[in-house]
Amino acid sequence: MEALAQREATAARRGGRVAGRALDAFEQLAGGLATSVLAVVALLWVAVCAVACVVGVGFWLLPGALRAARAVSDRERARLTRSGREVIGPHPVPDRLRAALADTAVRRELGWLVCASTLGLVLGLLGLTLPLNAARDATFVLWWRSVAEEFRSPSFAPWIVQGWAGAFAVTLAGFAWVAIAVGVAPWMARLQSWPGRRLLSPDRGTDLAMRVQELTATRAGALDAHAAELRRIERSLHDGTQNRIVAVSLLLGAAQRALARDPAEAAPLLGRAQDAAEQALVELRAVARSILPAVLEDRSLGDALSGLAATSPVPCQLDAADIGRCAASVEATAYFVVAEALTNVVRHSQAQGSVVTVRRIDDRLEVAVQDDGVGGAAEMSAGASTGGGSGIAGIRRRVRAHDGTFTLTSPVGGPTRLEVTLPCGL
Amino acid sequence: MRIVIAEDDALLREGLALLLRAEGLDVVATATDPAGLLAAVAEHRPDVAIVDVRMPPTHTDEGIVAAVEARRRQPGLAVLVLSAYVEEAFATDLLAHGSAGLGYLLKERVGRVEEFLDALRRVAAGGAAIDPDVVAQLFARTRSDGRLDRLSPREREVLAVMAEGLGNAAIAARLFVTEGAVHKHIRSIFAKLDLAPTDLADRRVTAVLRYLEEARGRA
Repeated sequence: MEALAQREATAARRGGRVAGRALDAFEQLAGGLATSVLAVVALLWVAVCAVACVVGVGFWLLPGALRAARAVSDRERARLTRSGREVIGPHPVPDRLRAALADTAVRRELGWLVCASTLGLVLGLLGLTLPLNAARDATFVLWWRSVAEEFRSPSFAPWIVQGWAGAFAVTLAGFAWVAIAVGVAPWMARLQSWPGRRLLSPDRGTDLAMRVQELTATRAGALDAHAAELRRIERSLHDGTQNRIVAVSLLLGAAQRALARDPAEAAPLLGRAQDAAEQALVELRAVARSILPAVLEDRSLGDALSGLAATSPVPCQLDAADIGRCAASVEATAYFVVAEALTNVVRHSQAQGSVVTVRRIDDRLEVAVQDDGVGGAAEMSAGASTGGGSGIAGIRRRVRAHDGTFTLTSPVGGPTRLEVTLPCGL
Repeated sequence: MRIVIAEDDALLREGLALLLRAEGLDVVATATDPAGLLAAVAEHRPDVAIVDVRMPPTHTDEGIVAAVEARRRQPGLAVLVLSAYVEEAFATDLLAHGSAGLGYLLKERVGRVEEFLDALRRVAAGGAAIDPDVVAQLFARTRSDGRLDRLSPREREVLAVMAEGLGNAAIAARLFVTEGAVHKHIRSIFAKLDLAPTDLADRRVTAVLRYLEEARGRA
């Protein structure tokens, strides 16, 4: 019985996943259709300018057309980056026409314009009409009698349905269409984005050079983040813990002097000294915890995060099942991200609650923190050392150092959602 | 003795004020940052300011800068600087214009109340109070030109205590020797280091610190 229920639950989950993937795919196809339409316009404009070269004016217009093509390509790059691996843009289009036409990135973009205006457009239109028609047919039996006779036909054949049997047949076929659409959509989306992924990402040599540049930058960021972290620890030890211990010493010294004068005077001083010693211990624990929470070492990331969620002043719901183990530095960064994000939630969002989701997708760890607060969170300039912005900059630096991705969406009025993915590094 | 305290840590600030008042000293004002210190000094014209090195906004050397500025505005103001750790550059900045009425101590020295009060009184009276750790660090970093090596072990001890700003009597008490012996050691030290002899404690401190610094420069 239980096994059956479990199997049903698994099947339901799988069904939900398939539907979700299909929905994503249709969304991608629609987005691709939008860039395809833009690509058609850009391609036409480039073609017109090229023809106009015959009479001379084209030479003036062509650079602008190429920049327009770049703008459309960048839009596609951004779209592809949102739905999968990052597609890095090339250096700007050269100002001089000859150099621009010799530029491989520009040529590849022109190639992509051709693909997008044909294949991309067709796939996009299909992606849009297929689910609509499938839905229309699948519900055919419900409405066929309420429309005029000439509309009583399935979307895939010019056949007028005359009786209930035919209507049921159309509906059945409609369900088949839905199944096909759901099954095929991810493939179509992949096929549609394929030319972009192929032609809009830098070619191999450039790719490696840019990769090196990126790694150099993120490594510097990692070292900066490390130095900032050490500075923070030094500061909390010197300005916090040390001051507490100095206070203990001072109060004990005062108590000693008081004992010589009047023992009754010494008692409150000793009490204050003990309070200060206890404060020192609390601060020391906080510092140690902020360096690397012991529970992260001994237990797991999930346990460490549930500790964080439990102690957050704003109620926090944690969903971090089956994430397994990652490299220690990755777990520490994930922990840091959540800790910092929750601190921001408490400090700035005025939220009533927050949700932390951690998922393991293949060899990547996806962390999302969302609150129901006022939104409007933004990263401040790098120089700022106070406020929530610096926390976000710190998160970005640490995530980039791991070659991870970071997105923050926080419209004014909320909600704020912070998403981070990290390679597990195992 | 009228005292102003500038310390951003509330517990320490109040603890210090409590301690000094219990000893019958007059704490006229406390401040939490450099601006507050300068305002308090202008308003109360104290004899001594006790200043923490690390204060807002950046928690680096605000205290030193504020102390130097306070002395510029009120010449003769004695300043005792408390530091979380020995940073010789702080000491050098602070003592750039002589050591009369200046002190630079590690924070934890406040726990040894007797010695702390001694240092405070010395500074208020125009003398100097340099933390033993600062002196030790200066000695350790001084790969000397050879002249320091000419000192006997006893003379080096005397030199170190002298550099803290102690007078002859206090040096004698610390090292368990007679004042006459201290006097003799000091004359010998000054001769060996080619320094002009003086009995004024703060002049001696300046001379010795400058000597140690120059010796490092030469090395």
